[in-house]
Amino acid sequence: MRIRLDPWPVDIEGGQLTLEPFDGTLIDIETPRWAAIPARPIPRQLSTVQVVDGKRRMEGRVFVEDDHGNVGTGGFGAYVVGAVSLCPHGSRAAELLDVRATRVLAHAPTLKLDATSLSPRNPHTGTLLYNPVPTDSADPMAPLHRLQALMLDAEQTLSHGYASLVPFEETDDREALTSLTLQDGTLRRGGATLGGAVVGYVKTMQTQYLSADRVGLLSDLKPGERTPILHMKSETGRSTRFTWYVRLSGAAFYQHPMSGVMRLEMYAPPEPDFLPPTVREVANLSGTLLMRLGSHAHKDPRAPQNLIPTAALEQAMGRSMGSADLVTRRIRAHIAGLQGVA
Amino acid sequence: MVLGTQDVTPVSFWFAVLPGASVQLDDLVAVQTRKPDGSFVNFYGIVDHVRTRHEGVTFDSDVQDVAAGLLPASVSYAARVLVTRVNPENFIPPQPGDGVRHARGDDLRMALSADKMGEKAFPGGLLADGQVLPINYRFVNGENGGHINISGISGVATKTSYALFLLHSIFRSGVMGTGASAGRALIFNVKGEDLLFLDKRNREVESREAQARAQKGLPDHRYALMGLPVEAFRDVQFLAPPRPGSAGAAIVPHVEQRGEGVTPFLYSLREFCARRMLPYVFVDRDASVNLGFVIGSIEERLYRMAQGADTPYLTVDDWQPDTEQVLDEDVRFDEMGSVRISTFAQLVAYLEYKLLDANDGEGDRKWVGKQSPATLQAFIRRLRGVQKHLTPLVRGDVSAEQAARFRPDPLKPGVQTTVVDIHTLSATAQMFIVGVLLRDLFEHKERVGRQDTVFVVLDELNKYAPRDGDSPIKDVLLDIAERGRSLGIILIGAQQTASEVERRIVSNAAIRVVGRLDLAEAERPEYRFLPQSFRARAGILQPGTMLVSQPDVPNPVLVNYPFPAWATRLDEVDDLNGRAVEDIGEDWLH
Repeated sequence: MRIRLDPWPVDIEGGQLTLEPFDGTLIDIETPRWAAIPARPIPRQLSTVQVVDGKRRMEGRVFVEDDHGNVGTGGFGAYVVGAVSLCPHGSRAAELLDVRATRVLAHAPTLKLDATSLSPRNPHTGTLLYNPVPTDSADPMAPLHRLQALMLDAEQTLSHGYASLVPFEETDDREALTSLTLQDGTLRRGGATLGGAVVGYVKTMQTQYLSADRVGLLSDLKPGERTPILHMKSETGRSTRFTWYVRLSGAAFYQHPMSGVMRLEMYAPPEPDFLPPTVREVANLSGTLLMRLGSHAHKDPRAPQNLIPTAALEQAMGRSMGSADLVTRRIRAHIAGLQGVA
Repeated sequence: MVLGTQDVTPVSFWFAVLPGASVQLDDLVAVQTRKPDGSFVNFYGIVDHVRTRHEGVTFDSDVQDVAAGLLPASVSYAARVLVTRVNPENFIPPQPGDGVRHARGDDLRMALSADKMGEKAFPGGLLADGQVLPINYRFVNGENGGHINISGISGVATKTSYALFLLHSIFRSGVMGTGASAGRALIFNVKGEDLLFLDKRNREVESREAQARAQKGLPDHRYALMGLPVEAFRDVQFLAPPRPGSAGAAIVPHVEQRGEGVTPFLYSLREFCARRMLPYVFVDRDASVNLGFVIGSIEERLYRMAQGADTPYLTVDDWQPDTEQVLDEDVRFDEMGSVRISTFAQLVAYLEYKLLDANDGEGDRKWVGKQSPATLQAFIRRLRGVQKHLTPLVRGDVSAEQAARFRPDPLKPGVQTTVVDIHTLSATAQMFIVGVLLRDLFEHKERVGRQDTVFVVLDELNKYAPRDGDSPIKDVLLDIAERGRSLGIILIGAQQTASEVERRIVSNAAIRVVGRLDLAEAERPEYRFLPQSFRARAGILQPGTMLVSQPDVPNPVLVNYPFPAWATRLDEVDDLNGRAVEDIGEDWLH
């Protein structure tokens, strides 16, 4: 019998590896030769890499009766998106960009609410302002979904705002790749129209995209090496991506052989007839870049997939939302104040 | 801004230093906090700890990622403040987020309680940022407190230099007011001939001060900042023991470097007896109780013997000195058949005769009392031991006029500072001189009262007033420490280790100063007045830097003080008196 570990902590649902089969279509867009491609150095002109992430938190589910007698559910929540800007050549200190929490009171569409400001007891600690946002439905989970959607939208806007444009026409050589954005998770639908050089990095492998004869390469990749780029169309045909795998670190003998491997994706036009040079450039440097950004197991349980800047960003985002306990207490005090018991 | 992640208390708090700002140890800062009723409370304090660290990172090795530009982190620069004053005295804590600013001008005056000192402040040195530290003269001259105690390792702590700087500051800053000319100093020079050039200008002071000014970025040289003149001590008399030699030789001061201006000092044998100096010859009075009795009774006998004449020598008529002894001790018989005792050795021989030899070895019963021969022998043995050292100092072979001229008098009219050079003397003789001079001074002040403050500068207190043991000199020092301030005698004492000095002497000092300390020494209870962080720093203080603690300011303050304006060595003496060579040449040509 042979047993090997999923390297990620057991309380992360699904672990790093789940592997369900993929029903969409995959086309070899770079080369039909299925073999490892070595990492290339990061070109000089790429001077900025942004690592973008988002986080959200539901702080209190509420039942609201507005001034017009309407009743519905809602939720006090907060989300934050932010970026770490760094130079891939290490020529300057990394910095946090735009890490700022937004607070919303997501509520059933029937309600009419004003912005809610929660004042602290101690005037030294500032006020919390919650803006009302209507949800699509009266479903009790709707406020959470609304919050999630707001966060993802903000994340996407932020990602594309930073990145260089990706020219999708063969003749288009307007812009060199000077600024690249790494975004945590798969890319969102609709982002393609924004056109930035945004790479989604998928830390877990939930879907097995590759056929059985090709999967073996993932285990054989050496650190920094990548697979050829594929053009991928989802089963519904609504989203298309360029995708490739890259290995960040070697797998220890006790780990499953695909640990340390990450899937990357970039937006692709629906018709697989052309591989933009920028995408190939990004794929070429991805191994070098991600090996540099990858964390170590003793510092991060999700190493190396959870990148060093992401870990820092997650911490900063958590901090910008403030202590959950204190916010919950503030909400309770506010409600107590409304009912005249405080 | 005051930090909220550390406890904020009315006595100590941390603050964050914003980017672009800088704070160093010993900076004085001020904070204002607003009470709920709208009134303000001001906190003043001194920075005793500064640190930077990466914030937002978890592992020590993260510093590599931060430096490589991968990991965003902020540098947290924070400083801890020990509060020295709260005004009004309203001991609430400051609030996190309150602004912290450098104390300057009025803030500084408040931080150091200079407002309480008013006219009675004199400069005690410069703070790290070039501002002047005021010291409350009321705590020096005995009005509210008195005495200054300085501790530190020899050579590095420059205790004497700081003591002299304080004297210079007291004498020349005008803090003594109208009585400025009345203040006097009695300085004991215990090592080298360092202090024998106090009245000469130092030729290096200009260049050293210019250098320090450039190094510290001060607006002016340090004397000017403190409003003190750059000048040597005025109206100084130098006293040195006479060069040991055969009796009758010329009396010249025993100094090597300084050729003129040093007066030899000595006591006549008669004074020795009449003014009861015998106990000061014995350093360890408690060696045996009986010995103490012997000393007491002989002291009384000598006192009586000295009455009735005023020659420097003594005459006795009940001694037939052993002729063998006589030869080498040069005893003279005068016309009346009595014997003249004109050297200390002869006095010892006489005492030996009276105590041990007379009456066929029984001794003169009146002198012996009921003491056992063993005790008497011990007494004589000790006297013999010190005889060589005291012979040049206590003598009867001088004329009455010489005895009067060479009698040490620190209160001589026209003299402000007296330097008594005792470094050439043996330990016993040093003790004798210090003990006798201080005793005389104390008795004089007991008669005339506290006007004319006398500052006594004495290094190596641990030698004169050790923690253990008992001696007449220690008694005098204790008297000065405990009652001296009401009589106008101020002890500026120094020692390497305060832990080895009589506790009552150190604890009576209102102003305590610490230079470089041995770290083990710094942990002793005598230094508890230093907060922990200061005790650690006392181990790294450089020469010219001192920690000064005074009653008005609850925490010690680090000061540096200027290079001496007076020469401390022969080669520092400014022969040209501060003028350029060309100017002197001009004088000669005209």
